[in-house]
Amino acid sequence: MQALITARRGASVAIAAVTAVTIGWAASAGATDRVILAFNPPTQETNLFWNGIGEKMPSMQSLVGNDPLTGAYDNSELAAEWSANESFTEWTFRLHEDAEFHHGWGPVTSADVIHSYELHTGPDSTIVALEQLRAAEVEALDDHTVVFHFAEPRTDYAFQHAGRGAMVVYSKAQFDAEGIDGYINKPAGTAPYQYVERRIGEGILFEAAPDHWQGATPDFPELYIRFVAEPATKLALLLAGEAHIADLPREIQGEALAAGKTTIASQNPAMHTGAFFKGVYNRTGDPAHNPDLPWGDVRIREAMNRALDREQMIEILYDGRAEPVARWGMHPPHEGYVPELAERFDEMYGYDPERAKELLAEAGYPDAFPDPTVPIIVTALSGNPEFATMAELLQVFFEEIGMQTEMREMDWATLGALSRAREDYVIAPSRNAPIRPSEAGIVNFFTTRGTPFGGLEDDTIEGLANALQNEIDPAERERIAAEAWTYLFDIYADIPLAALHFELSVDPTVVADWTFPGVTTNSVSHYHLIEAAD
Amino acid sequence: MRRFLVIRFLQALLALWVITIIVFGLSHLTGSPIDALLPDDASPEQIDNLIRHWGLDRPYHVQYLTFLGNALQGDFGESLKWRGQSALGVVLQRLPATLQLGGLAILISVVVAIPLGVMAAVRKGTTLDASANVIALLGQSLPTFWLGIILIWVFAVGLGWLPTSGYGGITYMILPAVAMAWFQIAALTRLTRSAMLEVLDAEYVKLARLKGVPEWQIVWKHALRNAAIVPLTYFGVLAGSILTGSVVIETVFAWPGTGWLAIEAIRGRDFPVVQTVVLVFAVVYLGLNFIVDALYAYVDPRIRYD
Repeated sequence: MQALITARRGASVAIAAVTAVTIGWAASAGATDRVILAFNPPTQETNLFWNGIGEKMPSMQSLVGNDPLTGAYDNSELAAEWSANESFTEWTFRLHEDAEFHHGWGPVTSADVIHSYELHTGPDSTIVALEQLRAAEVEALDDHTVVFHFAEPRTDYAFQHAGRGAMVVYSKAQFDAEGIDGYINKPAGTAPYQYVERRIGEGILFEAAPDHWQGATPDFPELYIRFVAEPATKLALLLAGEAHIADLPREIQGEALAAGKTTIASQNPAMHTGAFFKGVYNRTGDPAHNPDLPWGDVRIREAMNRALDREQMIEILYDGRAEPVARWGMHPPHEGYVPELAERFDEMYGYDPERAKELLAEAGYPDAFPDPTVPIIVTALSGNPEFATMAELLQVFFEEIGMQTEMREMDWATLGALSRAREDYVIAPSRNAPIRPSEAGIVNFFTTRGTPFGGLEDDTIEGLANALQNEIDPAERERIAAEAWTYLFDIYADIPLAALHFELSVDPTVVADWTFPGVTTNSVSHYHLIEAAD
Repeated sequence: MRRFLVIRFLQALLALWVITIIVFGLSHLTGSPIDALLPDDASPEQIDNLIRHWGLDRPYHVQYLTFLGNALQGDFGESLKWRGQSALGVVLQRLPATLQLGGLAILISVVVAIPLGVMAAVRKGTTLDASANVIALLGQSLPTFWLGIILIWVFAVGLGWLPTSGYGGITYMILPAVAMAWFQIAALTRLTRSAMLEVLDAEYVKLARLKGVPEWQIVWKHALRNAAIVPLTYFGVLAGSILTGSVVIETVFAWPGTGWLAIEAIRGRDFPVVQTVVLVFAVVYLGLNFIVDALYAYVDPRIRYD
């Protein structure tokens, strides 16, 4: 194990050595009008939000906001208030009457919301959760009231307009005057920062919106997001004072700290990580069901969970800066949270290689299985550089209890294709970011209607997910969600690992603080709350 | 001479055609762009829409022939990652950045390597020669990305003399250009040195010395002119290496050229842009080699077909 840790950190040590030599020379940044953020390049470089996959620019706003501390829905974006009817088939959003678009494009009205909705649900839309955003009908009751009508209950529709960020609001007046080119060249938003310029491959510049309708006055008049893919380069930018905030991987954050930089974390966990038992298609009559799959047997799944020393994994993967999570997807603020599962975790999932070996023997592993090899996916995913190491650790721990494993290198998109074809008989690292409300989490990851990057499916969880989706009584929803989480816990539906806060390395001579909840698709938000150092 | 050029030109076209097949085949072998471009929980409707929109539902040979036919007219399709822009437009927009960087790297390579190689040959066995050999050894053994990072740490972070990365004027170009040039300096120095050693041992050089021609004239005028044919033939390879080397260096230095573009397009499975980048690289590479061949034939009539 130690060798693995050593190998993984080889590059970091080399950088650290150079850092140690150069740290004394590092230029310090002084007061500045422009705060520079060195971030990974976006998945798609476009100003058309619906042509991306949820990367919201600091100039744009959704209907529903999030409290910067708790992440709770609030009216800090375009909707002053919202409500659902009793059957949750109508959601009414009342807009702030004083909301104004940037660059003089006028007030925000219901027409802008409907226009934006049509763009986001059009044929070229690639946004996340399109189906969750789509309504049967959208209607403007007046200039500042919009109603979304649905054929079935939609209890978590506010989520689609808040942290999930499935839709942002563009100016219809700008579209009418300039067409789509207006959005491509200089989209008017409504946030405290307004768009200035995008340079392909380099970054995007924003400036504080003059006379912002919310009265927001960011500490920094300008905000520049620089696209830098290479972590070592991002670290260099930060140390040289060319960037003030960087989304460094955890493994090199220590170098930044050693050079006098600080870390700012999201107020809440931004994601859950772990691994999925994929290819367990246990619904009755599912043609993809494979009865010979070793991890189709609950004893094998329990053994694989008990094989893991999670404390050590968290230390290696996240430098210890993560919270263990008992149930992947279950989150205290959301429906059906069952605190007892955390109390039962050690008893059910605790590190116990001897018990794991007994369980394998009880299941007849390996002889009872035509192919006892467990394929583990080695993959990379933006925002989760630890996935490859996680796969290596899983292999080490599984082999320690006598399992046969095989590492398969595969990019995330290929894994997705395999999953869409329902041929993903593998174990794969997985994440839930942002941590979804319970209904979305259960449906997305454990039913046939969810993401292909989901895990185990069976009749029970499918039934519970259906019941949850159709239930509108809050107490009953709580009960169903709790039952679903407990069921998934009891059948070892996956390999839960950690709840992670989103961490940023920061130059404290320029940036004093940044309060953001960590509950959005981008993980970062509330750019206007970046506080300048004195 | 004309026959030689025509044959070389046809060979270049053939190579280009083969490259189109390889790049089309390889890029499609990596999987569908749908899985890279759509979110994890894309709906079947979103998937179908994009597959239809980009013609990915057609047989491969139809897709290839369409691609080839359009490419001959300069139409490489629409970028999948940089939506709303043509693939060729995206590549051409980034090409000047790569040519700037590559041009400076070639200039540094030539300016450093040729004199160093000549001096190492003239002063064979001296400290200068040994130093040139060490530089060549280091240049050929140090990975470019590692050298790039070290240059950033020393000259940008440590000394603060130059910017760490990004696109800009000459100060932004120095570190990435040096990182790109380093390997080429090593290769070119060794080639120049060995060619010069051979020439300096030639009879006509000895005769020139006997006739009292000044040594600097013998070295820089007579010997180098004849030895230069070897590094000249390497120039095509050098230019190609600079282009392909840009993929790594531009990523390390966040330099938004075609190398960076290639990486981003591969990550996003932006087939049209990947294909365009490779074909543009191929055209530049083949074009430069064609020029080198022509110059070679001009300098050395023995290799002409006629």
